[in-house]
Amino acid sequence: MAITTVRPAVPVRRRPPRDVAWNRFLAWLGLHAVAVAIAIAFIAPLVFILLTAVMTDQQALTPDLWPRVWRWDNYVAVFRAAPLLTYLGNSLLYAVLSTGLMLLSSVPVAYAMSRLRWRGRDLLFYSVIVAMLLPPQVIAIPIYVLWAHLHLTGTLWPLILPNLFGDAFSIFLMRQFLITIPQSYSDSARVDGASELQILLRVIVPMGKPGIAAAALFSFLNAWNDYFGPLLYTGENQANWTLSVALASFHSVHQVQWNLTMAATVLVMLPVIVLFFFAQKQFIEGIKFSGVKG
Amino acid sequence: MKRRTAAVLAVLAVPLTLAGCTGVGSASSGGAQSAPAADQKVTLTVWSAFSDRELKGLGEVMDGFHKLHPNITIKNVGNQDDDKITQSIRGGTAPDVAISFSTDDIGQYCSSGAFQDLSSYISRDKVDLTQIPQASRDYTTYKGKRCAMPLLADVYGLYYNKAMFAKAGITAPPKTMDELAADAKKLTQYNSDGSIKVAGYVPTPGFYENTVQALSPQFGAQWQDSSGKSTVATSKGWQDMLTWQRSLTNAMGKDKLTQFTAKAGDEYSAANDFESGKIAMIIDGEYRTAFLKAEHPDLAYGTAPFPTFHAADYGTAYTTGTIIGIPKGASNTGAAWELVKYMSTQTKPLVQLANLLGNVPTTADALKSPDLKLPPQFDTFLTLSAGGKLQNNPPSPNGGAYIKVMEDFDLKYVTGGTNDLMGGLQQAAKQIDADNALGQ
Amino acid sequence: MTAVLEKRPGGASVARPPARRRRRGRGRRLTILAFTAPWLIGLTLFFLYPAVATLVYSFTNFDLIDNPTFAGVKNYVFLFTSDPLLWTSIGNTVWLTVALTVGRVLFGLVAAVVLVRIKRGAGIFRTLFYLPALAPPVAASLAFVFLLNPATGPVNQFLHLFGIQGPLWFNDPAWAKPSLAVLGLWTSGTIIVIFLAALLDVPGELYEAASLDGANGWQQFRSITVPAISPVITFAVVNSIITGLQYFTEAVVAGAVASGSSYTSGSSNNLGYPSNSTLTFPMWLYEQAFHQFHMGYASAMAIVLFIVSGVFTVVLVNRMRSAGIGEEEE
Repeated sequence: MAITTVRPAVPVRRRPPRDVAWNRFLAWLGLHAVAVAIAIAFIAPLVFILLTAVMTDQQALTPDLWPRVWRWDNYVAVFRAAPLLTYLGNSLLYAVLSTGLMLLSSVPVAYAMSRLRWRGRDLLFYSVIVAMLLPPQVIAIPIYVLWAHLHLTGTLWPLILPNLFGDAFSIFLMRQFLITIPQSYSDSARVDGASELQILLRVIVPMGKPGIAAAALFSFLNAWNDYFGPLLYTGENQANWTLSVALASFHSVHQVQWNLTMAATVLVMLPVIVLFFFAQKQFIEGIKFSGVKG
Repeated sequence: MKRRTAAVLAVLAVPLTLAGCTGVGSASSGGAQSAPAADQKVTLTVWSAFSDRELKGLGEVMDGFHKLHPNITIKNVGNQDDDKITQSIRGGTAPDVAISFSTDDIGQYCSSGAFQDLSSYISRDKVDLTQIPQASRDYTTYKGKRCAMPLLADVYGLYYNKAMFAKAGITAPPKTMDELAADAKKLTQYNSDGSIKVAGYVPTPGFYENTVQALSPQFGAQWQDSSGKSTVATSKGWQDMLTWQRSLTNAMGKDKLTQFTAKAGDEYSAANDFESGKIAMIIDGEYRTAFLKAEHPDLAYGTAPFPTFHAADYGTAYTTGTIIGIPKGASNTGAAWELVKYMSTQTKPLVQLANLLGNVPTTADALKSPDLKLPPQFDTFLTLSAGGKLQNNPPSPNGGAYIKVMEDFDLKYVTGGTNDLMGGLQQAAKQIDADNALGQ
Repeated sequence: MTAVLEKRPGGASVARPPARRRRRGRGRRLTILAFTAPWLIGLTLFFLYPAVATLVYSFTNFDLIDNPTFAGVKNYVFLFTSDPLLWTSIGNTVWLTVALTVGRVLFGLVAAVVLVRIKRGAGIFRTLFYLPALAPPVAASLAFVFLLNPATGPVNQFLHLFGIQGPLWFNDPAWAKPSLAVLGLWTSGTIIVIFLAALLDVPGELYEAASLDGANGWQQFRSITVPAISPVITFAVVNSIITGLQYFTEAVVAGAVASGSSYTSGSSNNLGYPSNSTLTFPMWLYEQAFHQFHMGYASAMAIVLFIVSGVFTVVLVNRMRSAGIGEEEE
């Protein structure tokens, strides 16, 4: 499944005539030129953000692109300009708790939907897909009213607690993965008299680790990147803002300059990028399973 | 099968009856509540949009209240703008007292009951409302319902850079819009690449305080008639205003102005372009004097009434103000009223706060107080305040939505997005009226 | 794994004796109920109930303070006759959905075709292409407003080198949506990865045979590559349409930051800046529901969104069904 395994095969190597070789070289050149151009276009924004983050505030408002003075202390100043640590804590609270609760509630559901056969299973699985595709704005109003009655608006709980009851995308992703595990593994465990819970915990979870890890990763990222949810529920309570909400209003609320804003942007992006480099395989697998297979 | 359907319906009905058919604030009752007894400990949560220096100052002013009522402790929360206040009231997590910076939403607060009607308290405590200037009294009520008290007023005028005036040979601040436009062109300096180095005036709608609310009184533009119908298409001032803005915008360079505003410093920071000498003239509230004193004490600037389109209207000024009220769902209404009363009617806190924020006091006594310590440039605003030509945008049950409608069209017309002035104004009027009908 | 959208070869089918199945029947049913209980509750509480409640609210006046009052079809009448911004927001959403879908799919295809042919350094290129897709949407929007600042942004500086006067990007009603589309291309790494995986699954022999028949690169692409990955393309298109209908974060943040206003992002004051050119349907719904608290009217809007997205959801689910996803695998 690794991306490098299969490649469109090159025709059997024969010594090609000269013009063919020349054409091939041109094709090679064109291909790499396009690839390098795209790569530069994709990386340049990140470079400019990094450069601006270490400029002086005066220079950030000028067209100069290269820092005249390298202000590394901007990364310190940004913590003084805004309670970033509080926001970071909130983001972590939201992302970690959501992911934890999601795993607790969704793994068994994914298991029942992939490893067990029962009437109504397809129907329930379609409900997962429909829920996954439903724009959140469609049902936001009654849910908001519900939390308002429980006096939990202004906090992150309306975003965390629903994970106790399964997350559609995660169920979908894990189901798609778990179903590829050969049935014989569970069957032999069943013959040994293991209960379904034992099979889930001892056989399927260890074997399904890559899928579960991918689901956890995406769950974490979704919470980390979420803007609509925290804006809706914690908008009025700055103490409970997440990094996303805080960053969106950083410029206006904390009256900071572009250099500090970009420094904050880097700090918000950084954990995600670090996570990616540690778990690149899970990311790519997860995307393929959610995208290609479904 | 039937039983199963019934079970599903029952499950669905649980949350529906729990939350579905009731409003969050529907339980609270009317009528004045008495202040807590002296031995009853109470904590009041107060929300405002103040931050940093100003929030601390507000806290000190409220300490004066705590000294008078030792049993009432105050929790002073800043950075809470109107959106947040509204959201918290609807969400059922409202503070006991809310301080709002603008009067745009007063109609919505009053008509929806989001802010409690204070009439019963006012008559019970025999508060003399006549000591409050008429304009401030107006913008704290809606259809006879008084749901807030004014807490200092903002009055808008012209700020100009004296050094730039001298350099350009301008001896007196402009008095008409024609003069303002002529001076703006004279004061504008360009870089060698054609971009604007110093802007004489920035006519772009929505830039800093160059808003439709603040500018419209200067053109005699009226928002609505006595029956509440929008008059943006019929009141001639609107056409004058948009035409004037567009003509000055084109004269200075439409795209150049956009590029100029795109790199402007934050309005409420030391990087404000007027404060840092990149703009020669701005329309702004009296509070800018306090910012200038704190951030750029060396800047030589003057203030004057903002020019008007018709010379006879000179002295007209936009006013708005900070308001203080008790949201629905407040837990200690009786105590909250004591604080509101103290803050909005007593001379001491009003003067203290006026000195701190550089705002215009909102009672006759406070206006005359010898304790007011404000810079000489502030006199313009006190004069305007006493001049009787102050105007405020009208309250609407739809909050400030109608302002946004006009501001959007203003920007579109001024930046050349459309050439159909009358058609756009008629469309705007129609939309404002339709929006107001919604939810009624 | 060629099983792109094909029926996966299910696990080994060990036929179990029916008697044993019956014996374990009740216990099994309880197990299944226990395992699926979270989702059954979640589905009821957070999807079925809200869907029904939204429909009910859409026939009421409701401001969340007082009890809802019955309003008949008034909200729907208003929606179709008296709300000009509704049509503006629908127009913007359609524009962005089409531009993002076409742009990302075409671009993703080109990038994937290039990537699949590169031999040395393919992994690095893949990482570089995917990296921006990870950027939190708020951070990416903020960055692009800065990059595309008409006065100080590097992009216009770059254009200036060639004597080109760059556009005003996020500050010009005509350019604000194209600017968002550019941002969308930058974060299209996910689609690239999906296409790349699909391309790698196309059997190499097909190309070999075509090459021997003398087919050139373009002919091979048209007659082999496109048909082979067309299910993935369809999936990407429909999925992209559904995401397009929800477009919210980038438009809110970019508009607010570009406006330079001192109001927070998401505030009514800068929604849709400039001149409502970036006001999408979900933003207008959000504004009506949670700022103006016309919850009845916003519910009517939600029902419209529900119907439109429902159509595409049905299309997608049907495709999955015909591809065998969600079927009993036996």
